[in-house]
Amino acid sequence: MIEQLGNGLLLGVIIALGSVALSLLYGVTRIVNFAHGEIIAFGAIMTLFFSSSPDSSLLYLDRFSPLGINFIASVLLSTVLCGVFGGLLELLLFRPLRKNNFGNIAVLVVTIGLSIFLRHIYLLFASAKPTSYILELQRRQDYFGIQLTPRNVQVLIVGFIVMVLVGIFLTFTKTGKAMRAVRDSSELANVSGINSDYIILVTWVFSSMLAGFTGIIQGVINNVRWNMGFLILLLIFAGTVLGGIGTSFGAMFGGFIIGILVQLSVGLQFMDGHTEAKNAIALALMIVILLVRPQGIFGSKDRIS
Amino acid sequence: MSNSILSVKSLKKRFGGLEAVNVDSFELYEGEITSLIGPNGAGKTTFFDLITRFQSADSGSIFLNEKNVTKLNSYKLARLGMVRTFQLTRVFDRMSVYENMKFAGSSIKNEGFLKSLIQTKTLKQQEDHLNVKIDETLKLLNLIEMKDSYARELSGGQKKLLELGRSLMKNPKILLLDEPLAGVNPKLSEELLEIILNLNSQGINILMVEHNIDAVMKISKRVVVMAEGKIISDGKPDFVRSDQKVIEAYLGSSDD
Amino acid sequence: MNKYFTAFIILVLSFFYIFFSNDSGGGRVFVNLLTFAGIYGLAAIGINVHFGWTGLLNFGHAAFMGIGAYTTVLLIPHSLGREGVVISTGLPLPLAIILGLIASALLGLLLGLPTLRLRGDYLAIVTIAAAEIFRLLVRDFEDLTGGVYGIIQFSDSLQNSRPDFITQFSENYNISSAQLWVGLLTWFSIVFVLIILARLKKSPWGRALRAVREDEDAVRALGKNAVLLKLQSFMLGAAIGGLSGIFLVFNYGTVQASTFVPVLTFYVWAALILGGVGSLGGPALGAVIFWVIIAGTDTISRFLFESPDGQQLAGVRFVIVGLLIMFCMIFKPSGILGDKEELLLDVK
Repeated sequence: MIEQLGNGLLLGVIIALGSVALSLLYGVTRIVNFAHGEIIAFGAIMTLFFSSSPDSSLLYLDRFSPLGINFIASVLLSTVLCGVFGGLLELLLFRPLRKNNFGNIAVLVVTIGLSIFLRHIYLLFASAKPTSYILELQRRQDYFGIQLTPRNVQVLIVGFIVMVLVGIFLTFTKTGKAMRAVRDSSELANVSGINSDYIILVTWVFSSMLAGFTGIIQGVINNVRWNMGFLILLLIFAGTVLGGIGTSFGAMFGGFIIGILVQLSVGLQFMDGHTEAKNAIALALMIVILLVRPQGIFGSKDRIS
Repeated sequence: MSNSILSVKSLKKRFGGLEAVNVDSFELYEGEITSLIGPNGAGKTTFFDLITRFQSADSGSIFLNEKNVTKLNSYKLARLGMVRTFQLTRVFDRMSVYENMKFAGSSIKNEGFLKSLIQTKTLKQQEDHLNVKIDETLKLLNLIEMKDSYARELSGGQKKLLELGRSLMKNPKILLLDEPLAGVNPKLSEELLEIILNLNSQGINILMVEHNIDAVMKISKRVVVMAEGKIISDGKPDFVRSDQKVIEAYLGSSDD
Repeated sequence: MNKYFTAFIILVLSFFYIFFSNDSGGGRVFVNLLTFAGIYGLAAIGINVHFGWTGLLNFGHAAFMGIGAYTTVLLIPHSLGREGVVISTGLPLPLAIILGLIASALLGLLLGLPTLRLRGDYLAIVTIAAAEIFRLLVRDFEDLTGGVYGIIQFSDSLQNSRPDFITQFSENYNISSAQLWVGLLTWFSIVFVLIILARLKKSPWGRALRAVREDEDAVRALGKNAVLLKLQSFMLGAAIGGLSGIFLVFNYGTVQASTFVPVLTFYVWAALILGGVGSLGGPALGAVIFWVIIAGTDTISRFLFESPDGQQLAGVRFVIVGLLIMFCMIFKPSGILGDKEELLLDVK
């Protein structure tokens, strides 16, 4: 079982980052964003596009050949692009819907349509086959009894640093404080003179950058696929619900728990030969949590009814 | 003094660090119009939510006609004859005024899945029979002209009336009105007050939260004042009006 | 009457399209399309009870469809799994179908109990998760469900009941007789279900569901048990979904883990929104138009790519489904047959 802990940490960091992004967006905009996974995939695919060598035929349409630029630069560029993407979604789609008084449920259905649309755009433009970044292959080593490659360790550290930075941003910067204010009560925020349109835009950009970064990390740890975001989305929901919808710290925590749980469950006795069912355990846990403590571990009760 | 029909003992509710409601004792007496007033944030609506079981109290107990209803579901409490309205009106927007009323009056048995599927003659008769009462009530509330309109087409005041009308379809023993006059124009307010007095004279006990002090003083037999979750004054309108604690509470609150 | 006229025109144009875009075997294509449309329409009618009538967001319909189908198929003679173990005994088909519907309704009860007390969007997440759990379990528990190898050779139970004149008719017109029989039964079921639903819709129960959709708190304040009403609605819609799932697997003649994938639910939602949320006949009409559009996407693929492969066909198809859901929800949320007054825009 312990040999799965490394995998658990890796999946955990992906889900935790994704959950923070989802939870932040939900907290501020009240949008349950089913297209979240597609923003995650966008980051990963863009990085693939920027960093792969120009002669590799990973993209479907031959008129787009990869750019072959430095990997770190690709990561930064893709993350920024995801932010732009999220900002455009808000400006062109979600803000007009809000101004026309679309209810949460109508918007939720729109995000489902958006998710299906984007995902299959990726399918048309990028290969359906799982593809890896051009990074050298590494062997797993022993770190305090946990099996990881050196790059895995780097990814974990970077992931932690990003989460700490998000925490600092939310707690100490003016924009971050304003985001939390809108999240906790948009009426109150309006009274205190916070421009909620601006804050919502910033939230979309910020959350999408974070989501895109999540996708890149997922791409480094596993590989890049057109439907990678959709596959991880349910686990991200589970992480968010477990930690408590609308709390950033809870989402991080919940994400890690879900990731570790999913991977550790592979080692359970009754799971022998049922590897596919490992995700089912996490999702079942989410449903149980909703049954016994719908506000999640760190959430407050008034968010749920 | 007449019989107590609703009795509340040491009811408490906290939200985080805030003590929203902390009421030692509260009684509602047979036959009276009682008003609950107090500055904004005094916990009046929360108190309403607690006694109608729309929120659960942290501690304390509630008795309706000496029956302990502290743990009862809100809808069961409503079946016992205690019906409430809401501060922000809650009409069924995309149903007609008539359907709003009919849903309220229809019996729970007839709303059973199988009964609705089989649709016996009795069910149809009982449903048709409701129309008499619906017409009567809508006439009383001056809403009869709007009978076939969608509820969302009504004005704010008319929605208040519809909500009241819906509650009346339940033949309530106790009617809890949460700010019945809020957003209602002065002329309609007068009418509403008349209607409330009229209902009371027909034996319906009324407890209402209301900000319009003049109206409250005019029609209430008894006024209860809340501030910071506690009841600070309780008595006849004249007594409350001159109570020093009440004056302080109102002057001391910045937002009223 | 205007919208019914629109619907009629759209249907006629759709049928013309089908016949003229297929030089050979128009009849076969037509039956295939109508059968699938009927099955999706029936499924959409189920979601309509949930969402259109009661305001419940069910995004796990594939699970309701699947559990009904698996229960029924496993109870009748079939052949299972990678070795094709033949189980030649079983219940009579009607009884198996009834048990399948009960299984779907029970899954509705199981999911509804914890979640129907919570706010609407939680239900969306939980149902989609439940559908995924269902799929993973079906995939993994191969001994019971046949896993990815699935179940085959169960169609005889249904096809044995096929009247001779349908077989004759099919031969004359070069149509698959098995599919024609499934298609006919599906559309008969739609009519039957709609008659029952029409009755329920204007009954006190139907009215109570609409009240729940509008405002649960007000329902409770009037002494009605909103959670019970939601549970009943959830179970009824789930059972209708189960029926559609049963027809789906009889149409394929097989069932495996990949039959009830999450995207199936989204297809059904697209059909529902297209036809008109809340209206009685809307979902079925929406499903027909949806399938015509799906057939049309292949033409678009051929226009975009010289010789489209499976990936491109699926890609274009779903890009259009996604756009369809978005555009309908934004610009015509009442769909073709929906009531303008019943727009679902401002539902919280």
